Amino acid sequence: MDISAPPNKRARKSPNLDEDITGIRAILSDEFDEEIALIKAHSCELETKQQLQAVIQELAQKLPHFQHLKRVQDRSVLICPSSEIGVSQSLEQHLEQFSFSEHVLRALCQGVRVVEVPERMPRLRVQYEKTLKHWPCKFHPNHYSESLRNGSNFSSAQRRFHKRIGQLLVRLSRDINDNRPVGICVDPRQPSIVSIAGTAEGCRPHEHCCMMLVDFVARSQEGGATNPEVTFTEDSKEDTTLRGIPKAYYDYLMNNEDYKDLTFGAEKSRECKKVNADQGADNLAKFGPYLCTGYDIYLLQEPCLMCSMALVHSRAKRVFFVKNSDNGALATRFQLHSVRELNHHYEVFQFTTKEDADLT
Amino acid sequence: MAAFMEEALVEARRARDAGEVPVGCVFVHGGKVVARGGNEVNVHRNATRHAEFICIDAILATCREKRLPARQLFSEITVVVTVEPCIMCSAALHTLGVKEIIYGCENDRFGGKTVVDVAAVVGHRIEITGGVRADEAMALLKEFYKGDNPAAPPQAKKKK
Repeated sequence: MDISAPPNKRARKSPNLDEDITGIRAILSDEFDEEIALIKAHSCELETKQQLQAVIQELAQKLPHFQHLKRVQDRSVLICPSSEIGVSQSLEQHLEQFSFSEHVLRALCQGVRVVEVPERMPRLRVQYEKTLKHWPCKFHPNHYSESLRNGSNFSSAQRRFHKRIGQLLVRLSRDINDNRPVGICVDPRQPSIVSIAGTAEGCRPHEHCCMMLVDFVARSQEGGATNPEVTFTEDSKEDTTLRGIPKAYYDYLMNNEDYKDLTFGAEKSRECKKVNADQGADNLAKFGPYLCTGYDIYLLQEPCLMCSMALVHSRAKRVFFVKNSDNGALATRFQLHSVRELNHHYEVFQFTTKEDADLT
Repeated sequence: MAAFMEEALVEARRARDAGEVPVGCVFVHGGKVVARGGNEVNVHRNATRHAEFICIDAILATCREKRLPARQLFSEITVVVTVEPCIMCSAALHTLGVKEIIYGCENDRFGGKTVVDVAAVVGHRIEITGGVRADEAMALLKEFYKGDNPAAPPQAKKKK
């Protein structure tokens, strides 16, 4: 089916499909989600608390381990990870190479125990609470991370909007794109739909809808490399452009009562000189459209590794998807957004559907 | 095969002269260059138009035109590229199933081998050789990043 063809009349909405999407959950990177591993460490038990100051002072200088932990618990003091001590070495032999003063060395070798301590600092309160039963840990609570975890990061109006776009993906795929994948790019400031793209029938092996979407966004910035057999929407306003939206999708939405209130169009590229340098404004507000900077990407299918990286290159702000893909690279096979080395990171959310609820 | 790196470097220099990040690529089949290209990100305002994708698209266009089976052709192609393919390009090349990849310098920011093990994620491993005329490829990049990327917004420029 050619997606430039007018929307198909037979495709009437099925009665409960629009209720399919029930919620949104953040897909946090592993360091937020995983339980914190424990490592073995040697500790000693001081006879009196008066020894603490001298012992801690020398330890901090000579064995600066455990930055993420509290070094002292009551009279117990962490010395070093057990893995640091050679197999055939005693603790005392190991400590001798650090030239501790004699009274500290003696204190360190008293009441020695091997304890299990958290390997790294917890990022969320739920992780922190689990570490507490092993050894006291440092923890810097982050309100935003917590809100991502418990879902309070969105206001109810925002949540409603995201879910609506999620439902729109399902509908567009079914009504216009023969159930093939569809993606939508939204400028969250208005919010306004910048681009829509669907995987075309008989497309080339790498022309996934996400790659098309990125290219259609480029069209809204007077770029675009592909030449798909699609008619795009003509502009009707001065300040925004509809050039990133194929006409078939635009007409469908314009003729649909349910979507009368949606806003369409992208801000046009600004001249490089025009910088709105509001303090605290993000790059999209300051410099205008550049690739997908500041834009949200909504996808019916979880993107594959190629597409996920294309969205990193394009500097997308957030990625929402509905269904898991067998080759998905944000949840199913990999979590690209967890890779720290990358020069850009977006947030990832998945819509929860009735199906999920039925499974659990 | 590595002799084709000179051809890839020619494309990289051409990209540089066009104001693009200087990365070039050639696809080699049966001892001949069958596709060539450099980065075309800035001209299209599309961050995915890397040299490898220019070549992939050229091959697919040829296959469509001459009604050749693309999968068969890709399995016989050696990719020669001046910089380690990024995660996106590497994923595409693994999925398309090219025969092998030969690259110049490493890409420690988003290389498809150095930063992420793309073969493991895609579930298909192909032969990859790096370090072929790496210094020349790196010199081109260094020269470029001393200047400004004309398409990047001003704030991004300051960081470089």
